[in-house]
Amino acid sequence: MKHILISDPTLRDGNHAVAHQLSAKQVAIYCQAADKALVPIIEVGHGNGLGASSLQVGESLETDEVLLSTAKANLNKSKLGIHVIPGFATIQRDLKRAIEIGVDVIRVASHCTEADITQRHLGYSREKGKETYGVLMMSHMAPTELLVEEAQKMELYGAEGIIIMDSAGAYLPTDVAERISALVEGLSVPVGFHGHNNLGFGIANSIEAINSGATMLDGTARGFGAGAGNAQIEVLVAVLQKMGYTTGIDLYKILDAADIAEREIMPLIPVIKSESIISGLAGVFSGFSKHVARISKEYNVDQRDVYFELGRRKVVAGQEDLIIEVVLDLVKKKKK
Amino acid sequence: MKQELINLLRADCDKSLAGDEESLDVLRDQSILITGGTGFVGKWITEAVSLLNQKYNFNIKLYILARNIQEYKEEVPHLARQPFINLIEQDVRNISNLPEEIGYIIHAAGSPDNRKHATNPLKTIDTIYRGTHALLDACLRLPNLNKVVHLSSNSVYGQLPDQHYAIKESQMGALDCNSVNAAYSEGKRLAETVCAIYRNQQKLPIIIARPFAFIGPYQGLEKPWAINNFIRDGILGGPIRILGNEETVRSYLYGSDLAFWLLKILANGKTGSTYNLGGEQAISLKDLAAKITSNFSQKIDVLVRYSKQYPPNPSVSIPDTTHIKSELKVKQVFDFDTSLKKTIDWYKKIHQ
Repeated sequence: MKHILISDPTLRDGNHAVAHQLSAKQVAIYCQAADKALVPIIEVGHGNGLGASSLQVGESLETDEVLLSTAKANLNKSKLGIHVIPGFATIQRDLKRAIEIGVDVIRVASHCTEADITQRHLGYSREKGKETYGVLMMSHMAPTELLVEEAQKMELYGAEGIIIMDSAGAYLPTDVAERISALVEGLSVPVGFHGHNNLGFGIANSIEAINSGATMLDGTARGFGAGAGNAQIEVLVAVLQKMGYTTGIDLYKILDAADIAEREIMPLIPVIKSESIISGLAGVFSGFSKHVARISKEYNVDQRDVYFELGRRKVVAGQEDLIIEVVLDLVKKKKK
Repeated sequence: MKQELINLLRADCDKSLAGDEESLDVLRDQSILITGGTGFVGKWITEAVSLLNQKYNFNIKLYILARNIQEYKEEVPHLARQPFINLIEQDVRNISNLPEEIGYIIHAAGSPDNRKHATNPLKTIDTIYRGTHALLDACLRLPNLNKVVHLSSNSVYGQLPDQHYAIKESQMGALDCNSVNAAYSEGKRLAETVCAIYRNQQKLPIIIARPFAFIGPYQGLEKPWAINNFIRDGILGGPIRILGNEETVRSYLYGSDLAFWLLKILANGKTGSTYNLGGEQAISLKDLAAKITSNFSQKIDVLVRYSKQYPPNPSVSIPDTTHIKSELKVKQVFDFDTSLKKTIDWYKKIHQ
């Protein structure tokens, strides 16, 4: 029976959904629940990962130190993971401290065409003996051949597996099949998929990834995450079980954990709102949604126009400051 | 570095020399340049020359050329402060005039670290090509030049149709020039061609050495090769992670053996020849991991992580060393098990 490694970034990607305001208490509550469900890896932190709390992408309620220490104290069997984007996270200031706190799994991420920037962070993580993965974000923005080459670089840098993120929820199942198959063929290490639900394909795309050879999947409780949310972990576990895969996760207890998450950490359960559909069609990072909604409202422009313009400009995570530029351009055009 | 560790290196060199110092007599009172001399190969040759000078009065003068001499001075002060060593801080691409007394050269510049090749492919090719070109141009102005050994790479062999057997120097496979790590292999092939041109047109006495895989002190555990990573993972308490096909086969030669093999090529190799450098004992990654775990008292887990089921024929990269052994009478003094144990013991001491 084939085993699928599940990572749960409810407490990291979910932080996007609450403008990075998850509290230490909420982290503790969900960690206890997910740990009971035997979720293999629980990823915790600011939505954009370690060291990302800033005016530009949003300040966290809690420091990385508090988030990670709290999570570590409430995990027994599950491993504690972090999302690391070089630039936000530095080795000396952030990564070293995270390892001291007791992080077990380090996923070093870059935009899908920028794997070069991950070399030192991946190397450092491996040198410290940590379970280390490479993550290519906004993967729909790279042609398949380039995506494979960027993944191959991460493998050379020491990544034990490569996960591609559908950060904008832009993929159709055929897109996933094409990319995952090419990655499985082009890499020696396992391949994973992180799905978002903008076009309603969060689970379907994850299953397509498995059918194409992926062996790692990400999912969050109730799909708690940026924009329309992520592939829903409790659904993933159930579907995978029905398909004959093992995950090591206790189905009843992950259902309980999702109920707890809904009650304790989510002001709203993610749904596919109109703007999320447009965001998915335009291929814009789901983490932009709160900023786009706020700024569009402030300047009275149609946020759907903002998404399409952001998509045309091929913006990536970390370029949140471009939203206001796009909105002001639209305001100028309206006046003309 | 602790004296105890320095003594171990010296003892290894003495054992690898195996009382055959006469075969190196031609190097007595000579000046040798090692480009890229601060790396694994350079450090081991310097250890070997240090033995030859101090125990057998060879009176060899070494010129070590590299980009970062300061780091070298801090890492191996026992070598850097030796009176027979002259340190030259220079990018190999900028070589123009070399000290006229240099009679022998080992061209070892160019990192084999494939992470660097993937991140800086153009610089990789540039350093290999322009570095070799600049060095050989400078060689034309050396009045007493006797021999140049160009350190190439086993990666020039590319993908051979049948890799179940040890690779002979005459076999050449295909290279995928479009792959993300093609820069190093293609660069090394180009450099061999540059060497052939200088040998043919300028009559420079050039020999090609193609190194495979090595083991021993001075090979940083952060380097991206399976054996280094396995040892590091073992020292950290595990698990050891095999990434990809566990049936992949490699072989390893110990550092002090490598040093004397290279010195013998320098002393007695024939111009125009190509020699493989490496161990002949084939070992799969699976068996390698098992051997490494057996060198630790605590239990160390081994994980295998792969993307797909692999074809039954694994990747095999081991050298056929018949040519160098028959022509230059070199010996692999340290067998694989001994080499592995010595290496692990060394790193355990360093990490204590």
